[in-house]
Amino acid sequence: MPILETQNLTHVFPDGTVAIDNINLKIYPGEFVVMAGANGSGKTVLARHFNGLLKPTKGQVLIDGQPITKNILEARKKVGLVFQDPDRQFVGQTVTEEVAFGPENLNLPPAQVEAMVKTALEVVGLNRFSQQNPYVLSGGLKRKLAIAGVLAMQPKIIVLDEPFTGLDYPGVVQVLQQILRLHEMGHTIILITHELEKTLAHAGRLVIINQGKLVEDGQPEAVVYRAEQYGIRMPLRKGEEVKDLTWLK
Amino acid sequence: MAEITFFQYIYGDTILHRMDGRLKLACMLLLSLAASFATALHHYLLAFGLLIFALRLAKLPWTALLKDLRFFGLIILLVISINAWTIPGDPIPTLPLPGLSRQGVVAGLRFAGRLAIIVLVCAVVTGTTPLRTFGQVIEWVLRPIPFVPAARIATMVTLTFALIPVLLGQFAEMMAAQKARGIELRKNPVRRLYYAVFPFLEQMLRRTDQIVEAMEARGYSEVRTRAVFKSTKRDWLIFLLCLSVFLYVCCS
Repeated sequence: MPILETQNLTHVFPDGTVAIDNINLKIYPGEFVVMAGANGSGKTVLARHFNGLLKPTKGQVLIDGQPITKNILEARKKVGLVFQDPDRQFVGQTVTEEVAFGPENLNLPPAQVEAMVKTALEVVGLNRFSQQNPYVLSGGLKRKLAIAGVLAMQPKIIVLDEPFTGLDYPGVVQVLQQILRLHEMGHTIILITHELEKTLAHAGRLVIINQGKLVEDGQPEAVVYRAEQYGIRMPLRKGEEVKDLTWLK
Repeated sequence: MAEITFFQYIYGDTILHRMDGRLKLACMLLLSLAASFATALHHYLLAFGLLIFALRLAKLPWTALLKDLRFFGLIILLVISINAWTIPGDPIPTLPLPGLSRQGVVAGLRFAGRLAIIVLVCAVVTGTTPLRTFGQVIEWVLRPIPFVPAARIATMVTLTFALIPVLLGQFAEMMAAQKARGIELRKNPVRRLYYAVFPFLEQMLRRTDQIVEAMEARGYSEVRTRAVFKSTKRDWLIFLLCLSVFLYVCCS
């Protein structure tokens, strides 16, 4: 059974713009899916539907076979959404406060919240920054903190919206290693990006969204050659294979 | 943004950092009230002495705080000037400026002293108290009051404090970007105000939307984990010290 499913998902903005149009998608437990598309293709809108932040104009989103509208809090617990700009996500004044925000929303006992925060910070390697102000961290560490913020809620699925934007090479490597570690730990990963050359080698599936429609869905080796026609830079150079598409060397 | 230290929590492991948030906020209230009732010079000296001791105890960065206090310095100067020229009284022989009165200068200095004490009290409390604790105390205080949405008010206060430095940082960046494109060449102050205020308001509203979205994404709920407060004998001693200062200022 798919862990996440969209059925005829359509979102039309009040001004009539069709952001996503009749999207049918099934994500299975443990998958690593790269979702690509040009700017304005509808990737971010789709990601917000996974977490129930937007209400569909038509269709529905199911998590573990249940419509997310049935229990929105449970859906948000199961699907962790890491925003494109981590600064937008921060609500705490220290790293610890920031990570504790999610578990506290679940009304868990203080000792359990503390344990969850500690574990999440350990997983992303931010323990020694626990009392720092989130805004003064480097770009890479901010992404890690944003990941820790959703990780503390122990989600099954982690959706990362353009996690490499604005990061330098070490920052990309740091975040990519973190994502792979989460995948190894059993989380289902949905990675939204248009920079296929950085990550595609690690994905088991490539989905392409173009003008709000799901236009390609399959194994990276089969889909990547058609990426350029949808406004995504062809990541493969002469003699390269999909397994070379990583910034981890 | 990272440069602003005022009204920001600065991590430390001092007596004041570890103090029970409820007692710390009670001390803040007592010292602010003491400042309001202060009339004699020794009242001000006592309050300032206590605050300097607290700043040293909390190991807060003096120079950075004073730098950020420049803005309040301007307000304090304005307060002294307004009082000095609007309160009627005797002229000052050594400073014969038209309209300036001795009584006005004294009243202005008193008012400025009160303001400075309150600002410093807030600097010490916000510098040593994480916002989460701050919010938890507000919720703890408001919870027994019927029909008051304690959790919502606590969240609102916490977010306001968290966002002030962020918004100030954004404003500074916006102004720098305007300067880079020659805003200073525009001589019309209304036009300059228009370019400063409207983009800032728009940014502020957008930022609010983003925060709401981020909170919803992590399942924001008003039924949240409640804090467990613990107070030590040392916390109570600090509280009693502040209470004594308050009573002394009020009764002497």
